Amino acid sequence: MNSVGEACTELKREYDQCFNSWFSEKFLKGDRSGDPCTETFKKYQRCVQKAIKEKDIPIDGVEFMGPIKDKPES
Amino acid sequence: MKIWTSEHIFNHPWETVIKAAMQKYPNPMSPSVIGVDVLDRDVDQQGRLHSKRLLTTEWGLPSIVKAIIGSSRTRTYIKEHSVVDTTEKTFELQSTNVTSTNMVSVDERLTYKPHPEDPEKTVLTQEAIISVKGISLSSYLEGIMASTISTNAGKMLYSCKLYCCNSELC
Repeated sequence: MNSVGEACTELKREYDQCFNSWFSEKFLKGDRSGDPCTETFKKYQRCVQKAIKEKDIPIDGVEFMGPIKDKPES
Repeated sequence: MKIWTSEHIFNHPWETVIKAAMQKYPNPMSPSVIGVDVLDRDVDQQGRLHSKRLLTTEWGLPSIVKAIIGSSRTRTYIKEHSVVDTTEKTFELQSTNVTSTNMVSVDERLTYKPHPEDPEKTVLTQEAIISVKGISLSSYLEGIMASTISTNAGKMLYSCKLYCCNSELC
């Protein structure tokens, strides 16, 4: 799968690999010990945000059907 | 305005289905999705994972049409917000198109939960609200779009099932 910015596809793949591994092996098993993908994500994001600006994609201020409900405070 | 809802059952437990759903693209049953990017991701104070993604989709027009009108007018971008709650065992996604909004608005909501009677199964509930703007045939076109979304949902389910069964996640 490609990124919106052609130059970002490799950075995206690196981040996706890191995230999918963390998601399956840690997050879904209840391990919240930290995110090993932070640095990879930052590099990927810098590239994606630049591509979004260049393509003039209006991603800000979009309203969805309604808020995904907040968990009530227990 | 057209509202379309459906419910489907996967014969796999919730964790397996959401691992597959997170990696749903690319898949041969959804060729119109040509790009997926994560814009933001974090875990909130209740331990829920929030993701904001941008999907790039390409209309299935013949190449000659795309060459004439230009690819910038055949692409639609969709913004998606999802939340994974491992305590409640829910995976909720909401998406809406952020371009082509002068022509059409498609808001979708999907929810994955364990089947209430069988923890080895997962229930997917889908809802879409479609509005085609500014033309007198809008109700007719909304009906066609709802039917397309329904067909695509069926394909998506097939592709999820395919993914689940062909990957080590099964």
